[in-house]
Amino acid sequence: MFDNIRWLIPTSKKTLPCGEESEIVVSSRIRVARNLNSIPFEVKMKASDAEYLIGLVKSIINERLAGEFLSLKDLKPLEKESLLECHLVSPGFIRKDKPASVFINEGGNVSVMVNEEDHLRYQGISCGLNLVNLSGAVFEVEEMIGDNVDYAFNDAYGYLTSCPTNIGTGMRASVFMHLPGLVFTNEVEKVLKGALQIGMAVRGIYGEGSEIRGSLFQISNQHTIGFREEDLLERTTKLAKMIIDIEKKARDVILTKARNEFEDKIFRSLAILRSARTISSGEVLNLLSAVRFGIGVGIVKEITLATLNEILVVSRPANIQLFFGELLEEQERDIKRAEYIRQKLGVN
Amino acid sequence: MLCDDCKKKPASISFKEVLPDKTIELNLCDECASKRGLLVNRKLSPVEILQKLLRQRSEQDEKVICPRCYLSLAEFKRIGRFGCSDCVMTFATHIQHLIKQIHQSDRHIGRKAAPGTKKGLEVYRLREELKKALESELYEDAAKIRDKLREYGIKDV
Repeated sequence: MFDNIRWLIPTSKKTLPCGEESEIVVSSRIRVARNLNSIPFEVKMKASDAEYLIGLVKSIINERLAGEFLSLKDLKPLEKESLLECHLVSPGFIRKDKPASVFINEGGNVSVMVNEEDHLRYQGISCGLNLVNLSGAVFEVEEMIGDNVDYAFNDAYGYLTSCPTNIGTGMRASVFMHLPGLVFTNEVEKVLKGALQIGMAVRGIYGEGSEIRGSLFQISNQHTIGFREEDLLERTTKLAKMIIDIEKKARDVILTKARNEFEDKIFRSLAILRSARTISSGEVLNLLSAVRFGIGVGIVKEITLATLNEILVVSRPANIQLFFGELLEEQERDIKRAEYIRQKLGVN
Repeated sequence: MLCDDCKKKPASISFKEVLPDKTIELNLCDECASKRGLLVNRKLSPVEILQKLLRQRSEQDEKVICPRCYLSLAEFKRIGRFGCSDCVMTFATHIQHLIKQIHQSDRHIGRKAAPGTKKGLEVYRLREELKKALESELYEDAAKIRDKLREYGIKDV
């Protein structure tokens, strides 16, 4: 029914541990915005301009790169959601009413959105702390297209973007981290406030006290002009490493002070994942957080981070339907999700 | 909407946590959110700074118009987006402080765009011409276009 499951498999595979510190860093992402001189920007663009740009980019890419070029109008709603769950497109992209397309490379780690807020949005995703390598992959595609088009560029302001918040390098580098230790030791606010002082943005949701559910945080550069790309990558990486060090110390504290309590949480979470007959994606997220912590501190040994990352991607609401190749109501979805997870964790 | 905790101040943050047995949804003011230990980023983000600065309007804004895409400075301040690559220079004197406040710099020191060879543009244009020539059964023209494409190293024509 859905042959577009193609991107789901490389996406779950690419989350194999490939960067550093992957027990704490869930993923690294880079986004680069570019526009062409010869075409009006998004707000002044006509549908014919949008079609022209898609045709142009498609012809450049198809001659040089292996991968898939998907047109937004040909995608079913579920497929759009799935691309979003795989972080291959943005929420703004799937809501576009003008012609738009996305190219996904063969490895599933680099995508190019055509006609999002900017003419071109290059995106890269990798697991673990991997910004420098990832930027290599992203800029390779950016340069390949840049050799064939006229990017909107100005010596003073750099690459010109639709929105002034992206001007200059057009680059945003972000690192997603799992920080249950900092949440437990109440150090999150202190650490993250420090990050804000040096021009980094922080987003996060977490529970109180000893909760280890969720505990996911994202750091990214706020400023896109006045820095070289290498500096932005280095600053983001440096800050991530600093936070990782504090997180590791906090985990030691947990293991000394509250080992039993946390071991209990971790193994109960694992037991639910292995036994549940129906399970929501929100619950999976929370339970995986506990198990990820368990793997990170060496309490859980029989499950790999690669398996965990794959479950994280495939168990999302749209992805699980594409995985089973059928449209499922919420209740059926929860049953199928539980079935998939049991199978992944080697239980039937 | 008032804060769920103090029920006095307006809520500025909405927070949602999915637990196995229930979903907690809270709308809190800054103070109560910080009391609960929820992360609150109160330093203005670039988008917030932009929105704040765009609210400073003047009557002259209607008269500053980009000669290429006809976006006025007034419209730029309303939507916060440039209309084309010429807008930036057209509005330069009006937006320099804005870029500086958002990014704490207004000077690009990163990568420079290599002048594109335009090969891609040319190949694309020729392909479109070839398609039209074939549709109109102008085979001589088509052959010439095909030869040009081959000069660009395009074999599958």
